[in-house]
Amino acid sequence: MSEASTSSAIRYGTTKPPLWRNAAVLKWFAQLAVLIGVLAVFWFLIAEARTNLAAKSIPVGYDWLDNPANFQLGEGIQTVDTPERALTMSRALWVGMVNTLRIAALGIIFSTILGVLVGISRLSKNFVAQRFSSAYVEGLRNIPVLVQIILWLAILGSLGKLTPETGPIPGWVIVSQKGISLPRVFLADGFYQFAALMLVFMGGIVVMRRQLKKRQDRDGGDQRIGLWTFVTFVISAVVAWVINPVMAFLGPVFGAVEDAWGAVPQAAMQILLSVAAVVAVVAWIRKFLDSKRSPAGLAKLTDDDWFRMIFSGFIGLVAVFVVVKGWPGLSSWIINSGSDFWGVLSDKYGDGRGAKPFDAMRPTLTEGRFVNFGDTGLTLTVFYASIFLGLVFYTSAFIAEVVRGGILAVPSGQSEAAAALGLSRAQALRKVVLPQAFRVIMPPLGNQYLNITKNTSLGIAVGFSEIVQVGQTVYNKNSQTLAVFSIYMIFYLSCSLSISAVVNTINRRLAIVER
Amino acid sequence: MSIADQALTEDLASRDDMIVCKGVSKWFDDFQALKGVDVTVKDREVMVVLGPSGSGKSTLIRCINRLEVHQEGSIVVDGIELTNDTRNIERIRSEVGMVFQQFNLFPHLSVLDNITLAPVWVRKKSKVEAEQKAMELLERVGIPEQAQKYPGQLSGGQQQRVAIARSLAMEPKVMLFDEPTSALDPEMIAEVLDVMKDLALGGMTMMVVTHEMGFAREVADRLVFMESGEVVEVGTPEHFFTNPREERTKLFLSQIL
Amino acid sequence: MTDIAMTPQPPVDTTTARTSPLQWAKVNLFSSVSNTIQTVVFTAITLGLVKALLGQMFSEEADWSSVATNLRLLMIYNYPADQIIRIWVSAGVVLFAAGLSLGAWRVEPGYTVGRLGRHLVGVGVFSLVLRLLLPVHAPDAIRTGLVVVGVVSLAIGLAVRRADSSGNRVMGFGTVLGGFAVVALAVLWLVPFGQYGLVDGVRVAETGTTVASSTKVPWTILLIIVVLSHRVGVLLGRLLGGSLRAALAAFWVIGPAFVIFVILRDPAFDWAHVWSTDIPLAFVFALGGGLVIYFVAAPGKSELARGLGAIMLVFSVFNWVAAFFGWYPMLQKVRISFLIFAIVVMLVPAFAGDRSTRRRVAGGWVAGMLVLHWLITAINTESTLVITAPPFLGGFVLTVGIAYYVMLASFPLGVLLSLARTSKLPIFRVMSTGYIEVIRGVPLITVLFFFSIMLPLFLPKGMGISDLAAVFAGYTVFSAAYMAENVRGGLQSVRRGQYEAADALGLTTVQRTSLIVLPQALRVSIPNLVGQAIAVFKETSLIAIVGGFDLLRIANSTIPNQPDFLGQKRPGLLFISLVYFVFAYSMSKSSQRLEARLKDAQAR
Repeated sequence: MSEASTSSAIRYGTTKPPLWRNAAVLKWFAQLAVLIGVLAVFWFLIAEARTNLAAKSIPVGYDWLDNPANFQLGEGIQTVDTPERALTMSRALWVGMVNTLRIAALGIIFSTILGVLVGISRLSKNFVAQRFSSAYVEGLRNIPVLVQIILWLAILGSLGKLTPETGPIPGWVIVSQKGISLPRVFLADGFYQFAALMLVFMGGIVVMRRQLKKRQDRDGGDQRIGLWTFVTFVISAVVAWVINPVMAFLGPVFGAVEDAWGAVPQAAMQILLSVAAVVAVVAWIRKFLDSKRSPAGLAKLTDDDWFRMIFSGFIGLVAVFVVVKGWPGLSSWIINSGSDFWGVLSDKYGDGRGAKPFDAMRPTLTEGRFVNFGDTGLTLTVFYASIFLGLVFYTSAFIAEVVRGGILAVPSGQSEAAAALGLSRAQALRKVVLPQAFRVIMPPLGNQYLNITKNTSLGIAVGFSEIVQVGQTVYNKNSQTLAVFSIYMIFYLSCSLSISAVVNTINRRLAIVER
Repeated sequence: MSIADQALTEDLASRDDMIVCKGVSKWFDDFQALKGVDVTVKDREVMVVLGPSGSGKSTLIRCINRLEVHQEGSIVVDGIELTNDTRNIERIRSEVGMVFQQFNLFPHLSVLDNITLAPVWVRKKSKVEAEQKAMELLERVGIPEQAQKYPGQLSGGQQQRVAIARSLAMEPKVMLFDEPTSALDPEMIAEVLDVMKDLALGGMTMMVVTHEMGFAREVADRLVFMESGEVVEVGTPEHFFTNPREERTKLFLSQIL
Repeated sequence: MTDIAMTPQPPVDTTTARTSPLQWAKVNLFSSVSNTIQTVVFTAITLGLVKALLGQMFSEEADWSSVATNLRLLMIYNYPADQIIRIWVSAGVVLFAAGLSLGAWRVEPGYTVGRLGRHLVGVGVFSLVLRLLLPVHAPDAIRTGLVVVGVVSLAIGLAVRRADSSGNRVMGFGTVLGGFAVVALAVLWLVPFGQYGLVDGVRVAETGTTVASSTKVPWTILLIIVVLSHRVGVLLGRLLGGSLRAALAAFWVIGPAFVIFVILRDPAFDWAHVWSTDIPLAFVFALGGGLVIYFVAAPGKSELARGLGAIMLVFSVFNWVAAFFGWYPMLQKVRISFLIFAIVVMLVPAFAGDRSTRRRVAGGWVAGMLVLHWLITAINTESTLVITAPPFLGGFVLTVGIAYYVMLASFPLGVLLSLARTSKLPIFRVMSTGYIEVIRGVPLITVLFFFSIMLPLFLPKGMGISDLAAVFAGYTVFSAAYMAENVRGGLQSVRRGQYEAADALGLTTVQRTSLIVLPQALRVSIPNLVGQAIAVFKETSLIAIVGGFDLLRIANSTIPNQPDFLGQKRPGLLFISLVYFVFAYSMSKSSQRLEARLKDAQAR
């Protein structure tokens, strides 16, 4: 027995350890030290980069975005400077982003279809089907996607010369060393009015479905919900097709919003952002305190809790400082881009728009070349086609594995139980197995979608004008590497975040409630 | 006489305090798991903690070696107060042994390595010395032949006995048992309880959370009954099983016996 | 497609040894209408695709001599021809270690005689089908070759199946390896690949002779080395056990660097400088540091060690700050050593102990310091070899080397990040989560561009970094984020009780993490880590975009720009596809086996 407890000197609950032995203090000290260290390293690096850039007299900032691009793009919604629309740097980058998204969206759709087919046939009992899909998966996923893309480019480059007659169906489908062209349906001027109108109609359809569902639950029997939905949908589509110009009034409305945004003074935006930061911090601290509150009163706060609250308050102060002092341009940037956004919308509904929402075209050639964009067929340049084919085949192999894994993950007891209840095989698949498999499939499938979006950046290897390639052209012109890389990062992060937001929402919907 | 010192026989009262809890309170966010608990465990005493599930008995003994951090009151073990002081935490941890309901043996280490781990890395003993001691302990809990096996190859009762040996290897002054037999098949409970009885007879200070009434009656010096985070009653086994004072204690015992 | 198996299927009926082909076909191909339709459809697709592929391979324009002539370029790029023995020696060293490791860890693929027979029959049938689908331009050698291979493997396969009717006899790995070596040797010496090479700057394709003896003999030796070293590994593994495995593990960490800097690069040491500065420095740090570590590792010195470590850390951080502002000169090596020393001193209390433990810790420090100093000196020294067209590394060697070192370097970083992400300390968690999510959100190519373009900008005056090193750093930073996610999966599988038991025994946080948590977590994450290794290997092809001469760059731009093979892209690209496939596929197969083995071990 130590003498400490026998002596009366010890007073329980009052001994405070010295700072350097206090676990809570040490913990936070270590964290803050590392945080400060990391920030210091960043600060050093950026300071160093600034000096180096200044030595080469390269200005730091985003002012160059409005400069003329002075280069042509390979393909996209705008490739050259035109009298109607100047090709500025920012416009060029925007064209690159659209190209990226075009590839990503199409790639996602087609690789999903292909992947599901292959994944299911890999589970088939048929010998040939199973072996074929195994070879498909193993072959495609073990060869780097970049090699596949370049191989496609080499193969497509060896096709016949481009004439209107090259290809399997002359005049309709062109397959040549310059690319592939098919007839296409495209969004015409009236589309935005049409879409707005359809949105209104869809609201009506949802209400109708709910009513029918209610009636079915009450009276039983088959109320033909699907049929009614379909019929109303077709009717409203036809109506919207005819009367869509009525939505043109939205143009001025958006125009007004644009003006209103533009009129917000910078100081107001600064105050608003500061208040938002402060409110967020206060809300966080309140929520934190609430979580410690019980009917019996507030729990005793540990040192840790105090550190947390002080730290979050500090973060709020830093945010306010950045908004007001550190980066005043932030507020005007938010105002400008917000106003630009509404301006674009107002344009879409502006004068001279209306009538046909969709139109169709056959492939056409001008001067023996594909028309770049606009009134022509759906043209895949060889660059587009090679990256598209490469991505779709590569990713479909992974999706096939995801699908197979998902179906196998459903315990066999589930289909046995369904059979025992008297469900047919198809019913069991649709009502019992697939819903469960879908839940397993969804997260890795979302990952594959992210991968497709990121892998579009490999377009740079074949000279496809996606964002990374355009950005590279930009910084080769004006040496604004830091700014261009920040744009890359923001663009890809927002793509990733939106895809994972969609996937997470679906996941939450699907999640089985466990306890 | 405070509630902590209730039912002290003369013998116990003359001994030193080993564990002293005063006004210990503990919240899990807005749920208060301990409400000002006062308990004193004397040197070489065996104290059994009873109570319905959720009564805070596990939380209490987990606070004693700081697996959980109490927010109010004080806990003093062998004269060392449990505070944020890193040195005190280190000392307490190496003086207080703990046996868990789920054994928590390290599955990637052999039985022998499980037992020698802490003596080598915490007590800085040599490997040879630690292994000798480990074999002695395995002998004592009756499974020396399992030394080279991995935990996954042992039965539940054997695993729990290894866990006890692992704690003993640190030569602790106090042993805490958190429902050591609850995860065991009925036929294995006895072998673990036997080891614990030996330990008690050997003069170890023990604090045991258990539902084994036979063990409590036979081995315990005192029993504590807890409910919803409060100590309801403290007494000798004799007092508890013949004539409990509180209504809540009577109700609980009638349900469990 | 209605015949979906809803339960895990054994790989299609394999008991064919006892059923006649007709019965087999009836069960597996034509059991029902839908089955028959599937058979017809998938056969048509398969044949169509194979024919299209063969058409690409043997089209009129395709000149495969572009690949055959440039094999050396594809493997080692512009390494001087008169020094090529160094390449063979390094390959020998690496393969010897590989053979030893396979033996020491007793890797067993569990390959049965029955499977061998089935595979041989499959190869035979497939070769004959290929022969039928060959386009008209295909060279005659290929036609006859396919027939020979088809008939021979069909015959051997059928014979094997007849000889071993049960088909369940397991073949040892040594046997498989030996068999492979015999087949490879036979192909090497018997098949007339034709000799290609440069004679006075002109490419000569001399058909009819076999592979040049300059590669035939070394390959033969290498194959023999692999087979023998496997045997040796098995024997030594039985004798030495753990210590052999530890030595091999150490080799795999530093061995490849050793090979590069001693055999391949041969640094031109300035011996005067080495004797006057490098060696004394290395010994001061190794021995002085070792003594300090031995001293503070004694029990009861933990607070002293932590305090000393903290002071040293402040000092070494200050050294780096000074480097950025150019306050006082100091060798980079010294700065690095101080930093590592400070961190080790801070961590040492966790691994302190009795005399022998302390001796081991201090010994580890001495060895690590000596290797580190040697490595830094070697890296900073010019090579004696004159490479006519830089870079020094290129081709397949570059692909494998980058993949290997990126995995190795991103491993500790990834583990640290995953620990931070699962930690209870909020700032660490937020920082690490931010890092991981940002890096995982952007494509690799932007990270590589960023590092190759921006890194030089970030460095202060007088500090430089080679292109390849910048790319390597970027790739490591990228890979670490993915590594962290893979390890995190393992960390989450470690149960709470393990942490509590470790705490209750009085282990410190560092001890708990390194002795209890990580060993369990890493074991769980091995399959994912192998998957990542495959991804890293495949994505080294992106180095071609940022300027490295890897396989892809050579096949896609170097060879097609040679006057003899203008525009010859497809043969080269198909060839490197095959190379990538063989490596990635065998890695994924062995990872599947490893996973099964781990599952067995877990169920034990």
